[in-house]
Amino acid sequence: MPKLHIDSALCSGCGLCQSACAFGAIAVAGKRAVVAQSRCILCQGCIGACPRKAIALEAEKPDSVDSVHHKGVWVFGEMKDGNPHPVTQELLGKGRSLADDLGCKLTVAVPGLDAARYSKTLIQAGADEVLLCESPSLAQKLEEPFAELLAREIGERRPEIVLIGATPFGRSLAPRIAAKLNTGLTADCTELAVDPETRLLLQTRPAFGGNLMATIVTKNHRPQMATVRPGVMAPATLNSDRRGTVRHAEYDVAYSAVQLLQRIQEQTDSDLSAAQVVVCAGRGIGEKKNLRLVRQLAQALGGTYGVTRPLVDLGWSDQSRQIGQTGWSVRPKLLISCGVSGAVQHLAGIGGTEMVIAINNNENAPIFSAAHYRVVGDCVEILEQMLLELKARHN
Amino acid sequence: MRQDLIQEVADCHKIYLGDESRRFGQAESISFPTTEGEMTAVLTRMWKSQTPVTIQGGRTGLAAAAVPQGGHILNLTRMNGVLGLREAEGRFFLRVQPGVVLSQLRDNIARRTFDTKGWDADSLYAYHRFQVGAEQFFPPDPTEASATLGGMAACNASGARSYRYGPVRQHITALRLTLSSGDPLILRRGECRAKDRELLLHTEGGNTLTLTLPTYQMPRTKNASGYYIEDNMDAIDLFIGSDGTLGVVSELELALSPLPGHIWGVSCFFAHEEQSLCFVEAVRSLGDAIGAIEYFNCGVFELLRRNKEENPAFSGLPDIPRNADNAVYVELHCTCRKDAEELLYTLGQYMEAQGGHEENTWVARTQEDLDLLHFFRHAAPECVNLLIDQRRKLHPGIAKLGTDMSVPDDCLHQVIAMYRRDLKEAGLEHAVWGHIGNNHLHVNILPWNEDDFAVGKALYRHWAEAVTEMGGAVSAEHGVGKIKAEYLDVMYGPMHIREMQQLKAALDPEWILGQGTLFPVRKEASV
Amino acid sequence: MKIVVCVKQVPGTARVPLDPVTHTIRREGTRSVLNPFDSCALEQAVQIAERTGAKTLALSMGIADTELLLRDAISRGIDGGMLLSDRAFAGADTLATAYTLSMGIRRAGGADLVLCGKMAVDGDTGQIGPELAEFLGMAHVTQVTKILAVTDKSVTVKRKAEGESQLLQVRLPALLTVVREGCVPRLPSIRGIRAGERARVPVLDANGLGVDTGRTGLAGSPTQVVRTFMPQRESEAVSLGGSAQEQSTALISLLQEVGTYA
Repeated sequence: MPKLHIDSALCSGCGLCQSACAFGAIAVAGKRAVVAQSRCILCQGCIGACPRKAIALEAEKPDSVDSVHHKGVWVFGEMKDGNPHPVTQELLGKGRSLADDLGCKLTVAVPGLDAARYSKTLIQAGADEVLLCESPSLAQKLEEPFAELLAREIGERRPEIVLIGATPFGRSLAPRIAAKLNTGLTADCTELAVDPETRLLLQTRPAFGGNLMATIVTKNHRPQMATVRPGVMAPATLNSDRRGTVRHAEYDVAYSAVQLLQRIQEQTDSDLSAAQVVVCAGRGIGEKKNLRLVRQLAQALGGTYGVTRPLVDLGWSDQSRQIGQTGWSVRPKLLISCGVSGAVQHLAGIGGTEMVIAINNNENAPIFSAAHYRVVGDCVEILEQMLLELKARHN
Repeated sequence: MRQDLIQEVADCHKIYLGDESRRFGQAESISFPTTEGEMTAVLTRMWKSQTPVTIQGGRTGLAAAAVPQGGHILNLTRMNGVLGLREAEGRFFLRVQPGVVLSQLRDNIARRTFDTKGWDADSLYAYHRFQVGAEQFFPPDPTEASATLGGMAACNASGARSYRYGPVRQHITALRLTLSSGDPLILRRGECRAKDRELLLHTEGGNTLTLTLPTYQMPRTKNASGYYIEDNMDAIDLFIGSDGTLGVVSELELALSPLPGHIWGVSCFFAHEEQSLCFVEAVRSLGDAIGAIEYFNCGVFELLRRNKEENPAFSGLPDIPRNADNAVYVELHCTCRKDAEELLYTLGQYMEAQGGHEENTWVARTQEDLDLLHFFRHAAPECVNLLIDQRRKLHPGIAKLGTDMSVPDDCLHQVIAMYRRDLKEAGLEHAVWGHIGNNHLHVNILPWNEDDFAVGKALYRHWAEAVTEMGGAVSAEHGVGKIKAEYLDVMYGPMHIREMQQLKAALDPEWILGQGTLFPVRKEASV
Repeated sequence: MKIVVCVKQVPGTARVPLDPVTHTIRREGTRSVLNPFDSCALEQAVQIAERTGAKTLALSMGIADTELLLRDAISRGIDGGMLLSDRAFAGADTLATAYTLSMGIRRAGGADLVLCGKMAVDGDTGQIGPELAEFLGMAHVTQVTKILAVTDKSVTVKRKAEGESQLLQVRLPALLTVVREGCVPRLPSIRGIRAGERARVPVLDANGLGVDTGRTGLAGSPTQVVRTFMPQRESEAVSLGGSAQEQSTALISLLQEVGTYA
């Protein structure tokens, strides 16, 4: 049975592991840290917190899977309303560099009736092979038929890596495939790289509900699956000299468990993904009613506004305005951050910004590590002043 | 003194001319000192030129004490440092500047994290002990958590939990003040007491002040009206609740309390008001573990139900049970879970004894649920503000009309019957909520037009007289400020008002601080 | 009709403070709570039960004191609870967790409808729902905002997709993951709390559940964390100081310079 082990020779009793454990499973007694095994859920959050690397996980060595026969990087090419989803081009960019590192092929699988005419573009974006499936059963974008088709193809072709965009559809599709193939899936990766020694995919994402990053691997199962949020990776550039092949697959299973009755277009005026100027509100705005200051500033600057996760959790704003790992990733020219502390999950959503101006009354707030301009002060007061000044200049 | 410390009031200072009472004033100059030295320099300058000074914190007050009537605004929000920590006899004491914001303070205490830059070795040691010891909290919980500690001291702030923990006065162990002349005064609780009604103060500047305290008896109820005066009183209590008229607070020492292991909130819904009043009286007998007892009448329910439907900001409100006319919210503060459970079932029994049903309750035991009930409780005043703002568009002469009066325990039924009768007779729309545990209810009259407003104001005055007769207080927690000065007169009468003015004149002979607050300016500087 | 709601115990708050000196995570004496998205799943289940008379069960995989969470679910109107607890389940990633939960649902006699919260606030992956549906062999729909109609053959739901909402009809048995919008989870009453205290909550270990321990816990997890680290912290930002007014003026000048505001 795996369990956590603390090396008492290395342990100094500093208690940082105790502070890092969100489940109260570590206590410092007599200058040594001790694990209460019955409370430990093996989340491994303490391992990274120990400055002396005294904590390790004792686990039995599982059998290794024959990974030699798995070759190739696959990208799920999601389509949206007849066009490739922007995330597809981003994944192709990353997929291409991973395939080059591994010395293997990059395949983009694009099920659906509207994909064929994009084959050339997909190849120019880096794909060596385009896999199409234009069977009528896939006319509607539904998870189960797509998952069945892709699992089948992946099972036959055996790629070592499969990347899927973490769009609402992708987040529903990827785990269905992973469970069918009994393999590992890491969601919302912010970095992907190949370990030069082991050739394993290093999947990095913010973790432990806080300010730590975790790097994850899928050692003994294939394919290694990962999802990436739109806006996190840079899109591939098109190279008109690239050549590749197109393959067609069939899928004749009639699917009826889920029927799409109606599509209702949403009025989203919060198009954060394309905004050039964004004003973001964090917990530091104090109260819900202060959001209007953020809205007004965004309006005055011709931009849009967003919020961080705590404000959505509090019910002050809708999830459609959330900027961060589980919300929007934005790449504006300018982002003004008001009362945002800068949790790693939020920073993951603003990495593409050209200029970040952060306002926070805590001079140690992590947001400042990602900012170009740092304003230490009460964001509500500063917002009020800015609005007054802007109004005065307008008149 | 740096050049730009004292600024001329300009357009960008508009927000500093008003506070949460929705009144607006005027001023010629403003300053935002960051240190006591700067604050004293400003005060001295104003004192020399006999310029009136209005002291401001977060401007969250409801009685317009922070609204200037000319002169200089001394805004202390930039004096917001936490200066040190002390441990004594198992309790922790935090030294703060007046501009520290309550919500920030609560956050720091909960996360056990302070900015300790500049702290001395003793404080750092106490900080270490604080981080590893039992969880602490700062009990006073006024509704508006963006209030500053200085302001809270000035009006002796209270909240729902004052039922058990008392107003902020009981959590301040030391004050450092500056008198209008710039002379500092240090007061530690227990070290300086009056002899009957004579109080001797020794300032840091070497002056001795002999104060003759007013001769009135304060009501035995929850009270924030006028100066705190008692035989043999502690000097520090004179300045707490003095509404910014006696001196400027430059430092406070706050006592923290151990956080109860289990805080549960229970909303109990009743079909008739009589049931809830009897229920409240029964709950009062349950002793120490009751942290708060709050009340919401049918007028509040109407407001909330309407807003839940019409206003997206309130769509997150839980659905109030169909047949409920009013509710009593009881907060349990227990050390162990078993006690909380037993108390909970006892509340259920008490409810049934009054003809209620224990399935008509909402019990909050998790932070998420407590926050929801918190949101529910604060929705009432928010909805009232929105309503008045709306109606004011058509009738600019109206304003918020909320009472803040308390009466002794045995007058609860009497005072509620009076409110109900008078409001029915006058035909005024209203909502009543508040700290029923202390017989302290906010009766909010919702005027449609200027006529309603006038009738409402007259009722208010009539109630001030009746409440005084019952032995209660006209302002139980908001303070008198400027807008309730006339009611202070009703409560104490012209002779005692004169005594208060004389007391003020002894500490601020030039009458510089807080002009218009508590009472009108006396032409003679001293008597 | 039988409804199973899968719930998870998570750390008390997602707001994990950093020690300003050491830059490590500070525990705040947080208590474990029910994953906020799961409270909505529970609420939906209770509402459906009120409409249709369905039987509801709250299911969780966790340590022993997760039982309190299940009793809390019962106090809010759920009919029963079941806890899957064993050292062999610890360290599970989403695949291993989904497997274990699927065995729990089979042991409980199956389900017509399974409800899960959209994701857990400590893991954020949103993967359990679809993986569990695959192991149970049922259809799944994620991001459900409203459950409109329930019959013994199907449910009709509204769900969020990209830039649009969709109305779907799903044949039972099915699994739905629900979001929080428009959901106000009910609070327990005193009576409900008493029911929660008195309920019998079975606790099943690996043997009782009949699972293959090679597929549970850390042993059954294809993904493993190999490294945790603090992200880079150097700040090269330009500071704008002074009073709020001064900072505001400086900001507006800056905005003019970069052409955002003319």
